Amino acid sequence: MKWILFAWKNVMRNKRRSLTAMLITAMGTAAVLIGGGFALFTYESLEEMTARDSGHVVLAAARGFDNDEDVPLQHGLSGAAALAAQYAAQPGVRAVAPRIQFSGLVSNGDKSTVFVGSGVDPAVDFRLRGPQLDFVAGEAPGPSDAVPEVVVGDELAKLMKAKLGASLTLLATTTEGNLNAVDVIVRGIVKTGVPDIDRRLVMTDIRAVQRLLLTDKVGSLAIYLKDTAQTAALAAQVKAAHPELAVRTWRDLAVFYQAVRALYNRIFGILGLIMVVIVAFAMSNTLGMAVVERTREIGTLRAIGTQPGEVVRNFVLEGVAIGTAGAAIGMLAAGLTTLGLIFAGLEMPPPPGRSTGYPLLLSFSAPLYLGATLVVVALAAAAAWFVSRRAAHKPITEALAHV
Amino acid sequence: MNAPTIALAARATTVRLTDLRKRYRVGDEWAEALKGVSLTAAAGEMVALTGPSGSGKSTLLNLAGLIDTQDAGTREIAGVAVDGLDDAALTRLRREQVGFIFQGFNLVPVMNVADNVEYPLLLLGRPPAERRQKVAEMLERTGLAGLGGRLPDGLSGGQRQRVAIARALVKSPSLVIADEPTANLDSHTAQQIVDLLRELSHERGAAVVVATHDERMSAHCDRVLRLADGELVTGELQ
Ligand SMILES: Nc1ncnc2c1ncn2[C@@H]1O[C@H](COP(=O)(O)OP(=O)(O)O)[C@@H](O)[C@H]1O
Ligand SMILES: [Mg+2]
Repeated sequence: MKWILFAWKNVMRNKRRSLTAMLITAMGTAAVLIGGGFALFTYESLEEMTARDSGHVVLAAARGFDNDEDVPLQHGLSGAAALAAQYAAQPGVRAVAPRIQFSGLVSNGDKSTVFVGSGVDPAVDFRLRGPQLDFVAGEAPGPSDAVPEVVVGDELAKLMKAKLGASLTLLATTTEGNLNAVDVIVRGIVKTGVPDIDRRLVMTDIRAVQRLLLTDKVGSLAIYLKDTAQTAALAAQVKAAHPELAVRTWRDLAVFYQAVRALYNRIFGILGLIMVVIVAFAMSNTLGMAVVERTREIGTLRAIGTQPGEVVRNFVLEGVAIGTAGAAIGMLAAGLTTLGLIFAGLEMPPPPGRSTGYPLLLSFSAPLYLGATLVVVALAAAAAWFVSRRAAHKPITEALAHV
Repeated sequence: MNAPTIALAARATTVRLTDLRKRYRVGDEWAEALKGVSLTAAAGEMVALTGPSGSGKSTLLNLAGLIDTQDAGTREIAGVAVDGLDDAALTRLRREQVGFIFQGFNLVPVMNVADNVEYPLLLLGRPPAERRQKVAEMLERTGLAGLGGRLPDGLSGGQRQRVAIARALVKSPSLVIADEPTANLDSHTAQQIVDLLRELSHERGAAVVVATHDERMSAHCDRVLRLADGELVTGELQ
């Protein structure tokens, strides 16, 4: 206890210098925590976004993910209804959504363009995707007993001059390789924020798609979980139970998520490294000056029986005191920034390939805060050890003669 | 005041330095600082080392105080043959047996008076109650009662050297090394400091070796040794 008190008094001996080191440490800590919080928030948002989009675990027939079919649904999944019912009944599963990805031409009678279609269970899918589908107009389609209803991307609607209630014709190749057509009514217009998708998107009832493609297969079954953390467990379970199926998790399918994560990990990893260097430098500098100034004092303490290790320990305590204070200030600053951003409501500009921004928020992560503090304190201790060990072993008569 | 002197004769020799030689490298030359000096001091005895500047007083004190090593000769402190001990063992020996008083006081500026005096006991791992009691007693004996909370910066030179004496003697060492302890003090204060040092070391049975070129100071010592050019010229018993 006494030693800590002496260490603190020594830290306060040159207030301005110690304060500078503390502030540099605080800024380094805050930068890492804010950068890390931003990366974590981005990961979490993208995770949620991707999982909402693809489902947590996606099943298909063997080769169903290979994208090398000769005709649509050549590697489609048969008997999907039974599988869907089986997994929907399992605890922890929120819903199971059958899907068919297909493409073709959409026409308004005057002109036509390529669409990328998605056959979904309207009762399930629109609920699951939640805020990701931003309805510009209209609503989700109902069941397709009479004339099927569709939701189209806003750019596509503009291209087709389609208002709500407008009639369009979808033209696609069937599973037998022939052309087939179906008339549909526009029930909703959505915006995903990705212009490439908004220009081509058509969503409709999967049963209408099956009629159009002349099949009873589905492309895939997307299983949605209540808890994302259960993804791997469920994927393993499905693989064990159905070795004949192809199984992917949202993570496998999330190319964008993976790319962003890899990029951010690198950016913030480098930021962290730079901070480590800066903090180590500031600490060594401050403590190094203290050691030089106190050479004679070190000689005195050594003469009256202080071991070199004890001299080093005292400087390490000083380093730890500065590091802890700096980390605490840094954490406070990062914490306040995290809170402040919640109230500030700032928007980030749209990322590349997107037309909408996203909120600028930071995630709070206790392990991140704890880890950063430990790293900073360890750095301070290491710097103190490094700069004081030589002076502590200096010949005592030399140290005492130091002016 | 004859009693201590009689008792002295029966006391064990605390310091036995035999034929010490030490030379320093100065450029391409070797400067001989000690050319075979022997010295003994008994418990409770106060030995003065006098001689002109550069005669080797500090060199001899550093060897006696175990903060330097000689080129030849042997040393025995408090019954321990110290030559050949490693740094950790020498440090332990200093911690237990040797007190230092410096010309420039060398107090720790961030520690208050009481903390400075307590420091050697802290190093020895003495329990808090014992430390408190010994520090209070020492402050009382050195006339510093009431100043325990003051920082060294706020004290006069004489007061600072009293703190240094208290710090050196609080652990009741066998040996006290004092290198020109009064050189930074006016003569009246110097007188008081010498008296205090003598009184306390007699009382606690510590041998004191004090370097000084102040005649008034050596006059108060039990024995005066004169060094010149790295050699002992006279030794006289008072
Ligand atoms: N570290 C050193 N390096 C070189 N020469 C030294 C050193 N210390 C002392 N000397 C020399 O040794 C001699 C004795 O010095 P010292 O013991 O300090 O004498 P005193 O304390 O009596 O003035 C002097 O000639 C001095 O110049
Ligand atoms: Mg000298």
